[in-house]
Amino acid sequence: MGTDVEDLSAAGGVRTLPAPAGEARRRPARRGPTLLVRLRPWLLLAAPLAVIAVLLLYPIVRVVYLSFQEYGLKEIISGHPRFVGWANYREAVSGDYLWKTVLPNTVLFALVAVAGTVGLGTLVALLLQALGPRMRAAVIGAALVAWALPAVTGTYVWVWIFDPDSGLVRRALQGAGLLGPDGYNWFTDRLSFYAIAELNVIHHSYPFVAVTLFAGLTTVPQELYEAARLDGANAWQRFWRITVPVLRPVFAVVTVLSTIWDFKVFTQVYLMPGGSGTNPDVLNLGVWSYMKAINQNQYGLGAAIAVLLTLVLLAITAVYLRVLFREEEIR
Amino acid sequence: MSGRRSSGWAVAGKYTGAAAVLLFTLFPVWFMLSTAFNGRASSGTDSLLPTHFTLSHFSKALKPGASGGFGQYMVNSAIVTVVVVAATCALALLGAVAMARFRFRLRTTVLVLILVVQMLPAEALVIPLFLQMKDLRMLNSLAGLAVVYTAFALPFAIWNLRGFVAAVPVELEEAAYLDGCSWWRMFRSVLLPLVVPGLVATAAFAFVLAWEEFTFALTFLSDQSRMTVGVGLAEFLGQNTNDWGGLMAASTLVTLPVVVVFVLAQRRLTVGLVAGAVK
Repeated sequence: MGTDVEDLSAAGGVRTLPAPAGEARRRPARRGPTLLVRLRPWLLLAAPLAVIAVLLLYPIVRVVYLSFQEYGLKEIISGHPRFVGWANYREAVSGDYLWKTVLPNTVLFALVAVAGTVGLGTLVALLLQALGPRMRAAVIGAALVAWALPAVTGTYVWVWIFDPDSGLVRRALQGAGLLGPDGYNWFTDRLSFYAIAELNVIHHSYPFVAVTLFAGLTTVPQELYEAARLDGANAWQRFWRITVPVLRPVFAVVTVLSTIWDFKVFTQVYLMPGGSGTNPDVLNLGVWSYMKAINQNQYGLGAAIAVLLTLVLLAITAVYLRVLFREEEIR
Repeated sequence: MSGRRSSGWAVAGKYTGAAAVLLFTLFPVWFMLSTAFNGRASSGTDSLLPTHFTLSHFSKALKPGASGGFGQYMVNSAIVTVVVVAATCALALLGAVAMARFRFRLRTTVLVLILVVQMLPAEALVIPLFLQMKDLRMLNSLAGLAVVYTAFALPFAIWNLRGFVAAVPVELEEAAYLDGCSWWRMFRSVLLPLVVPGLVATAAFAFVLAWEEFTFALTFLSDQSRMTVGVGLAEFLGQNTNDWGGLMAASTLVTLPVVVVFVLAQRRLTVGLVAGAVK
């Protein structure tokens, strides 16, 4: 490691072919690692790491610190927060609310969203492979537009489609005689609220999976499929016996990334009617934490809930890192 | 793959599938557009087709002083976005070169740190950052928002750009050294021009993040004249009546630049994602 310090070429060389790295090592006029050369990576990293430290690392430390404090309006004014130990955590986990409402909303939503996103993304990727060039371009183009549709505007569109007063679904159902004149508010019921949120999130996030998997599919050697077909394997068997094992790392990455994104979904829930706190049945961990801290000025309790969410995400991230390190040998 | 030998049923299935995907994917976008251009936007079924074509929703939404003046919000978002894109590209390039071209102690630690902070939820960071910005009197400041967005964009930007830097053949750098270039000269004349595609992808990512961000804008901004588009859209929804035509027109204006950036940059973005994260 020490001798590599001044070897500018190692990373790039190892990445592509082993040969250039060896050549680079035989570089003429090899200088000793001066202090400047040894410090160079740190000089480059100083500014970005400083930004990350001040705006991401310090706040995450502070939110943990806050979670052990009573920190409300009174404490803000006096400037003297009180240490309360685990009281905020005890308040968060006591009672039914976390276990019967918030956690199911968060976890079940994420599970369904991940299954829907990866499932639909896989189907679309396989479809792309089977389509001719023109249809393929059309589907990829459409997927890109859905991917680009901002979470905020996308959510408003789905809210408009399901608007209880004059939305398309209400009017269409009433037109077909399937819904009475009083209509129905899909946003008050927890199940239909989250069904709409699932539609929104899957619509927004399946394109990433489809495009990534499609790129992966083009790297699978065609001979494998030919050989399997000669052996009489049908499309179903070819998918599970060839595509899935060969693309396992790609599947792993898109699944873990989707899981992380779907656990911390905020905008799509907050912007739906009732999602900003007025309907306590539909809150998830993120929105609950936000509502307690920012809307109700209970910063300590909000911080404790936020720490719980962060711990869940870090656990999933640990899985992600293991996948990356195992499959790729991160350099 | 098996296109040549498909049976009639398989072809029919293929096209049905493609039609279903296109319908599901494009319907919300279509509905947004047809409502935005529809003179009878107050009813969902009437909004399916823009039978009473009008631009009035757009002109009303953009009129200064009308429901808040969405034009001002777009200007605010544009200012924040330009700053974030420039700062993210500059800082990420420094970090990416350090990570891709140097081997140093703690390198793996820094790499893991970058991957981990990228997963931190905005909901957790918004609480301490709100208190911090309040202490610094930087709530309602576009600069405060830009600084936070840059920090949020950086980890992924470094991670993504690192793949592009690593892909530049080292021989080119070696050649520059042999020609007597200093490291800085080599960086400017050899490395920088070759990672432009990576910078385009990074810029696109930072653009999308800053342009449509919601959580921090919602928390930091209370002054109407400072609102960005993410929070400004809520003004079209009232206590009793919702201006769906205006909301969809403004949503269209917010979506348009993102679609343009996405289409221009997607090839590079996905190549970088796959190259950097998967192989």
